[in-house]
Amino acid sequence: MIEAYFIHLLILIGIYLILGISLQLSFGYGGLLNLGHISFFGIGAYVSALLSLNGFSFIFCMIVAALVSAFFGWLLSIPTNRLKGDYLALATLGFSFVVYAVLLNWTDVTGGSFGLANIPRPHFFGITFANNFSFLILVYISVFISYLLISRICNSRFGKVIEATRDDELASKSLGKNTFKLKSLTLTISAFFAGISGSLFAAYITFIDPSSFTLTTLIPILLIVIIGGLTSLPGTILATIVVVLIPEPLRFVGFPSSILGPVQQILYALLLLAIIYYRPRGFYGKIDLE
Amino acid sequence: MTNIFLQLLINGLVAGSIYALVASGFSLIYSTNKFVHFAHGGVIVLSSYFLFWVSSIIGWNFYIAIPLTIFFASLLGYLINKVFYKPLRTRKASASVLLVASVAILILLESIALLLFGADVKTVALPWNNQSINIGNAFITPLQITILLTTAILFVALHMLMKKTKLGKAMRAVADNKDVAEILGISSEKIYSGTFIIGSAIGGIAAVLVSLEQNITPLMGITLIIKGFTGSIIGGIGSVPGVILGSLLLGFAENFGTWFLSSGFKDAIAFVLLFIFLLIKPHGIFGVKNNQK
Repeated sequence: MIEAYFIHLLILIGIYLILGISLQLSFGYGGLLNLGHISFFGIGAYVSALLSLNGFSFIFCMIVAALVSAFFGWLLSIPTNRLKGDYLALATLGFSFVVYAVLLNWTDVTGGSFGLANIPRPHFFGITFANNFSFLILVYISVFISYLLISRICNSRFGKVIEATRDDELASKSLGKNTFKLKSLTLTISAFFAGISGSLFAAYITFIDPSSFTLTTLIPILLIVIIGGLTSLPGTILATIVVVLIPEPLRFVGFPSSILGPVQQILYALLLLAIIYYRPRGFYGKIDLE
Repeated sequence: MTNIFLQLLINGLVAGSIYALVASGFSLIYSTNKFVHFAHGGVIVLSSYFLFWVSSIIGWNFYIAIPLTIFFASLLGYLINKVFYKPLRTRKASASVLLVASVAILILLESIALLLFGADVKTVALPWNNQSINIGNAFITPLQITILLTTAILFVALHMLMKKTKLGKAMRAVADNKDVAEILGISSEKIYSGTFIIGSAIGGIAAVLVSLEQNITPLMGITLIIKGFTGSIIGGIGSVPGVILGSLLLGFAENFGTWFLSSGFKDAIAFVLLFIFLLIKPHGIFGVKNNQK
């Protein structure tokens, strides 16, 4: 019993970790105040769920989900490329509302507010990841690969140029860098990994509905990135563990779920405010939020 | 047979007026403080529940509950500024930090409403008979006429405040250049407090009308503030006529859009309009060119 609970927490940490490091790429390294990240997670979850409900292999579902998310990341980057700060935050938040409205109203495909149920657990190469332990291994393989790729990207020449563009776009432009393309690519890659995370989420929970992909669910992800510290991937790991575990003691107090939800949100919101106030660079942040 | 065109025109006008009420308070705060106060939506939500609590649970007279709600809203706005934003400002936090803080405060306020009142929909009953009036085969309720009138009066009052009074001039001075304004003896902190009080009071008026026209739900704040922000951007943030015009345009676009799409896509239509404006006219219709950050 207690083991099952720990495995559940570890799986959640893994899924949130991929989401956190992918947001770290656009928000921390790219400096893009991206409040629409949760919709890439949602798009990934829905695409993967729909494909696997139609009998496709999980690996295929995951890759297609990530690619579709990446495509939407690219699409969003076109109108928002010139925007900064407030305007970018609004535009990306607006995008997440469009995605939410489509998920909720395109009933024939997405099931509307009833969501999609009975999403099959992954099955490929003759292995079925039906029990949580095998799923845990699958999640951590994905975490490992995603972390490796993102940290390679961040430390590559490309990553350095992204950071340079974040700090001074004009200077980067004057050195002949195509900042439009760079920012576009940052958002695309960031969305790609959010799609992977969404695909794992759908396969793990086996039920998704539009309410899992709103601003309210963005707060913990934002918290992970800010607590971990902008542009710090190891900090993100630590922050993910902290953020997933913090509301857990509440479960044992015995609150009914109608109270548990809002209390958890209040806790996250207060934590976010406290971090911004007392330790704006989080655990290992190297730059300030601008 | 109802006249669909006229009916959609009326619906658009009413929706646009509500957005304009939300947007004008929000935009007043934005243009002076220079950061996005998303929590304005939270102020509206809590004020709506306050109205529900005073008029339906305690059972006080409706006409006493209205000024109390407006007072509650401005007090809440004042406190949010005092408790959360002012300490961050003294630490020279950037606009993005304040924006993230305001998102957190929005979630905080909405969660408090959810915790205290539950997720189910609340309604506030009108004390008068709200029978629709037929004009040219389209319908409008007395409440909707009240909303239109309130917005029109507020528009004139806000315009006068910004252009004619000393406070309005000081606000514009701080908005224009905070340091120069301080050299001339205008306390910027006082002006910030003032804009939060006035802006949130307008939010309180919006809360009263929204809770009468629609239902109260804990999560309506995000939608309202996003629509208000969108209206402000379409019209040009910082300009009172622009904000009203942009909000009305948004109301029309949403309602005429339902001619082609199901009404669930209203939000999507609003944001497609926003993206179009961000692409071709990012400063809005009445916006000032160098105002973009």
